Amino acid sequence: MKMYLRLVSALIQGVEPSDKEKKRNKVFYIVMSLIAGVGIMLPMTFFVGVIIFSLTGSLRSLELGTAQNGVELFLHLISSFSFIFGLNVIFSVFYFAGDIENLLPLPLRPSQIIGAKFTAAFISESVMELLVIIAALAGYIIGGGMPFWSWLIALIGTVTLPILPLVYCGIICMVVMYFTRFVKNKDTVNKITGIFTFIIIGGIVFLISKSGFDTNELIKAMSQPDNAVLGVMNCIFPHVPFLVNSMDGANIWQILVYLVINGAAVAIFMMLAQVLYFPGVIGIGQGAARSRKSSENIISRMKKHRPSLTYLKKEFRLLLRTPAYFTNCVMINLIWPIFLYLLVVMQGQTNFLESFIYGIHSGDEETVLLFMLGIIASSVLVTAVNCIASSALTREGKHFAFVKYIPLPYIAQINVKALISIIISGSGMLIYVIAACIWLNTGIKFIIFCCLLSLLSVSFATYFGIYMDSVNPKLIWDDELNALRGNYNIFFNMAMAIVIAAVLCAGSYLLFKFTDLGSITVLIILFTVVMILNAVSYLLCHYKATKNIDNMMI
Amino acid sequence: MQRQRLINVPAQPDKGVMNMIKFQNVTKTYNKSVKALDDVSFNVKGGEIVGFIGPNGSGKTTTMKLLTGIIKPDKGKIAVNGFDIKEDPIKAKQSIGYIADSPDMFLRLKGAEFLELIGDIYKVSEKDRRERIAMLAEKFGLTEALSSPMMSYSHGMRQKMMVIAALMHKPPVWILDEPMIGLDPKSAFELKQLMRDHTKEGNAVFFSTHVLEVAEKLCDRVVIIKKGTILYNGTLEELEKQNKNESLENIFLELTEK
Repeated sequence: MKMYLRLVSALIQGVEPSDKEKKRNKVFYIVMSLIAGVGIMLPMTFFVGVIIFSLTGSLRSLELGTAQNGVELFLHLISSFSFIFGLNVIFSVFYFAGDIENLLPLPLRPSQIIGAKFTAAFISESVMELLVIIAALAGYIIGGGMPFWSWLIALIGTVTLPILPLVYCGIICMVVMYFTRFVKNKDTVNKITGIFTFIIIGGIVFLISKSGFDTNELIKAMSQPDNAVLGVMNCIFPHVPFLVNSMDGANIWQILVYLVINGAAVAIFMMLAQVLYFPGVIGIGQGAARSRKSSENIISRMKKHRPSLTYLKKEFRLLLRTPAYFTNCVMINLIWPIFLYLLVVMQGQTNFLESFIYGIHSGDEETVLLFMLGIIASSVLVTAVNCIASSALTREGKHFAFVKYIPLPYIAQINVKALISIIISGSGMLIYVIAACIWLNTGIKFIIFCCLLSLLSVSFATYFGIYMDSVNPKLIWDDELNALRGNYNIFFNMAMAIVIAAVLCAGSYLLFKFTDLGSITVLIILFTVVMILNAVSYLLCHYKATKNIDNMMI
Repeated sequence: MQRQRLINVPAQPDKGVMNMIKFQNVTKTYNKSVKALDDVSFNVKGGEIVGFIGPNGSGKTTTMKLLTGIIKPDKGKIAVNGFDIKEDPIKAKQSIGYIADSPDMFLRLKGAEFLELIGDIYKVSEKDRRERIAMLAEKFGLTEALSSPMMSYSHGMRQKMMVIAALMHKPPVWILDEPMIGLDPKSAFELKQLMRDHTKEGNAVFFSTHVLEVAEKLCDRVVIIKKGTILYNGTLEELEKQNKNESLENIFLELTEK
C-alpha cells in the first residue's frame, strides 16, 4: 500500500505543473484561475444544476415514480464522456508515457504499476468532471426534495462515478495492446484508437438524431417507467441506477451495491492487468519500423528551402505523427460538424432553423448579424479548443532550448507556429463556413466576407493563444498527452477565448439592439474591432512573447 | 595555417589569434538565490581545444547555455566569433555548432528530415549539405539509418545524429556538452579526430567532459570549475608541473574536493 501511494504521488507530480512553473508567474495563475472559474466553471455548473433541477421537478410533478430518470440519463451521459475521452488518456498513460522505461525495471508487480497509473489518471481526469457531477446531483436532491443525508451519498457518488468508465477504458486498452503486441508501429495503434473515439462520438450523435431528439419528447420519454434508452444504458453502466436510487430513498443497501459494483470492476481490472499488462508493454519503445529506402537517395534528394518553410514542415510532421497531437489538435477539428449536426437535430419540431434560413434569404439584419457573430465565436472557440496555438511552445517540452539556440529570430518561429494553427483551424472553419453559406444559398460576396471574418478571428485567437503559452509554458511532461491534458495554460486560454467571444458577440448584438445603428454599421465596427484585436495580439507576440522566451529559464 | 571557407557563417579576421569565445566576468544566479556562476572569465582562441571539467552541479551546463544564448547572464559579457550573444544573437548563434546534454529531440522525425531542418535553418547550400551529411553519416555509421524515424535509434545513434547536426554547417566554434556520452569507441575516436581537424583550420572547440583521459589526450587547455568559480585555467602540463608526481585524477580530486 505504501509503495502504491508513493507511486501515485510520484506520477501525479509528473502531471501537475512543477513548483518552479507555478512560482514563475503566480499573479498570472491567480488571474487566469478567476477568469476560468467565473467564465467557464461557475456558469457550466449552474447551468447543469438548473437543468437537472427543472427536469426532476417536471418528472416529479407527473407522479409516475420516474423522477430519477433525468439525473440517471445525465449520469449515463457523463459516464459515456468519461469513457470516450478516457480511452485516449488511458492508452497514453498505460503504454506511451515516458515513465514506463523507468518503472518497468523496478521490482513491481504489473498490478502495482497499473493500479498507481490508473489512480493518477483517474485523479487528473476526474477533477473537471467532479463539479458537473456534483451540480447534477445537487439539482436532483433539491429538485426532488431529498433528505439531508442524500448529500453524503451524493458526495460518495461524485468521487466514485468515473471509476467504472475508466475501468472499461483500461480493460479495452490492455486487451488491444495485448493482441497487437506484434504490431511494430505502436503509434498507429494509438492513432487508430483516437479515430475510433471520434467514430463512437459520431455514432452516438447519429443514434440520437435517428431517435428524433426533441426537448419535449425527451421529458415525455423520461417519464416512461420502461424507458428503452435508460434500459440499455443501465446495462452498460449498472452502477448509476443504484447511486440514484440510494439518494432517492437514502437507502444504505443501494449505495452498498453501488460500491460493490465499483469494487468488483476494479478487482477484475487488476486481475487482468496482472496477466495482460507486461506482455503488451514490454518492448514498446522498440516499436517503430525501419525503412529500407536507400539513404543515398535520400541524401541526393535533399533540397534547400527557406528556414521558415522547413520549420513549418517540421511542425506539421510532429502534429500529424504524434498520436496525442494528432487526436487532440488535428482530429478534434472534425468533431465540430458532428456537434453542429446535433444542434440542428436538437431543434427538432421547433421552427427556429427554418426561420433562421428565411431570415438569411430575406436579408433580415438581425439574422445576418447573428450568423456573423456565430462565425466569429466558433472561429475563436475552434482555435482555442484545438490548442495548436496555446500549446505551441509547450510542445517543445524539454527541448525548448532548441528554440533559443538556433539562429532564427523568435518572432519568425512564432509566426511559423501561428501559421500552422491558422492553416489547420482556418481550413476547418472555412470548410464549415463555405458549406453553411452554400446551404443557406447566400451570395459570393457574403461568402467572401464570412471567410475573411472567420480567418481574422482564427488569426487573433492564434496569436493570443501563443502569447498565453509564452507566459508560462509547461515544458516538463512525461508524454505528449500530458503536455496538453495537464496544461492549465490551454484551459486558461479557452476561458479567455470564451470571454472574448462572449464580449464581442454580446457587445455587437446589444449595440444593434439598443442603438440606432444598422447591422452593416455594427458589422463594420465589429470588423474593425477584430482587426484591432489582430494587431494587438500580434504586437503582444512580437514584443511580449519574444521577451518571455528570451527571459525563460531552462 | 590552412583556411577553409565557412558556410554562411559571418567571417571574422585572423581566427587563429582572436578569441573565438570571450566569457568575461559572467555571473548567473537562479531564482535570486542559487549562484550558479560567480564572476567567471575565460577565453578560447582560434585553433584551441579547451576542455571544461568540473563535478556535477559545478556550473558547466549553465556556462554552455549562456554561451549559446539559451539563458541570459545577470552580469558580464559573452561573445562568440566576435559577435556579442546579447547584441548580435543571430550572427553569434550562426557561428556555433552546439550539442546539448540530451539527444532525445524531435524523435518522430526521420534522421534525414531532422538534418534537412538543421541545414535549412543554418542556410547550408544543397551541395555542401549533401557532401557533409554523406561524409559525417559514413564516419559515424548512420547512413543506413537516415531514412528511419529517430525514435527507433539507440541513445548512441541519437547522440551521433546530434553531432552531425551540430557540425554540418561548419561552424567556427563548437560548443559540446558531454559529447562523448553514448558514443561507441569508434565514433568517439572519429569525433576526437574531427575536433582536432577543426582546430587545425583555426577554429575553436569548447567541450565539457567528465572523462579526464579524454581531456588529457585531446585538450590544449582545460578550465576547471567548481561551485560556479574557476579553479584552474591553463594547460595540463602546467597543472602537472605544479603538482609533481600526481596523476591528473588525483589533482582533479584535490582541486574539486577542497
